Amino acid sequence: MRTLLILSAFLLNSMPVMAQHHHGGSASLKAEKVPEHSLYHLKAEWTTHRNESVTLRQFKGQPVIVVMFYGNCTQVCPILIRDTWRLYNSVDESMRGSVNVLAVSFDRENDSPEVLRKYAEYEQLNIDGWHFVTAKETDIRSLAMMLGVQYVKQGNGEFAHSNLVSVLDAEGKVAVRVEGLNQPMASAALKIENMLKQHTMQ
Amino acid sequence: MRSQKNISRFTICTLTVMVALLVSLLSPVMAQEERVMIPAGSFHSILPEVKGEPILVDSFYLDRTAVTNEDFLQFLQENDSWKKDEIPSIFAAQNYLNHWQEVSTPGLEEIGENRPVTHVSWFAANAYCSEKGGRLPTLNEWEYSAQLMDFDSIQEMNRFSTELIGWYSSVDAKNTKAVGSTGIQNRHGVQDQFGLIMEWVEDYKPIIADELSLDCGTVGRLQQLGNIYSYAASIRYITRMSFNPKTTTGMVGFRCAYDIDAPESSLNTEL
Repeated sequence: MRTLLILSAFLLNSMPVMAQHHHGGSASLKAEKVPEHSLYHLKAEWTTHRNESVTLRQFKGQPVIVVMFYGNCTQVCPILIRDTWRLYNSVDESMRGSVNVLAVSFDRENDSPEVLRKYAEYEQLNIDGWHFVTAKETDIRSLAMMLGVQYVKQGNGEFAHSNLVSVLDAEGKVAVRVEGLNQPMASAALKIENMLKQHTMQ
Repeated sequence: MRSQKNISRFTICTLTVMVALLVSLLSPVMAQEERVMIPAGSFHSILPEVKGEPILVDSFYLDRTAVTNEDFLQFLQENDSWKKDEIPSIFAAQNYLNHWQEVSTPGLEEIGENRPVTHVSWFAANAYCSEKGGRLPTLNEWEYSAQLMDFDSIQEMNRFSTELIGWYSSVDAKNTKAVGSTGIQNRHGVQDQFGLIMEWVEDYKPIIADELSLDCGTVGRLQQLGNIYSYAASIRYITRMSFNPKTTTGMVGFRCAYDIDAPESSLNTEL
């Protein structure tokens, strides 16, 4: 039924954007009801370190781990990225392939897709399912507001920012928030596994 | 010969005056959509984290006035998903655009023309500015611009300061006046940063907000900067800290800022 709806929306609108992602596009957003508190309402296009364009919406049906950081941050961010890896790595190996990671830089000036690619390689995280991304300034700020991440650029080019790892559920709602550095990840990983089990049962 | 020279001088002089007159006649018409360049500089914040150290601000463009109901209506006509009956609750509280008579019309005969749009959430304000090729001003940009006022005398300055205290303690959100009506402007022509509404800024809640408790001691310390702006600024910081990005009140509107490297074509150059 759902496929039929998407298909009919596709045929009616025949929007070229639909061809890019099998889940993306505003037509299917209307055809399928998105929950009021889903982050899918944010119509942002993210450019990845592979120079590809992704939307949150295209991860529908799968959990997404979201972390906000910046590349020039040498003290805190490596820990934050390692925390994200710990969460990802705590998910049972058989399910890990269905988990996406969106690492969003709030340093638009310095973190181009090329710089992010080097960052991903340096951190040995240029792996499937991981996306180091940048976007329009207003979209990055919107995402931060939706997640409850605060950041401010300081005079010295550094950013002061909150340390937060979030998990979006299969509908794009914030399901888990891990605040602070070096936090235990077991219960967050368990929630991700439960999401995936529930979703495959449906 | 001499008289001829005088005549040509006279002509040039008259022409210059006429052009100047023409420009001054035209500029109020243009004022509505204008944005002005705020040159780089520094200012003193009232936040405890930066005592003594001025905050540096790069140059940027800022809208001369707040965004009006008419402006916002036009934005909605092109962006359905931000209309009152379409907006998902993740982006705005229940009373979004509450002062508008109908779902999709402000009812200008009721609320008046050229009034700043209020009852808009941070998300809606951010989306509007993004659509215009800009963004919301950062908290520091906004506060820096607000402090760029010139006063003729100490008396003038004190009078302004007293007026501000009066205004912040009696904001009448139901009877907002038209943009540009306060007569308050900074030296670059940015109008109504005081005396009309409160305004959203990009990072309205500073990072240290979570660590600040809003007891009398803190509020007192915030005001210790001791210049004419510090009372008003402390009220703004404290009010902003009580917001969340979905907040929509009759007191809060916004204006947009633009990076200096924004495409020239989208900018009205100043005459």
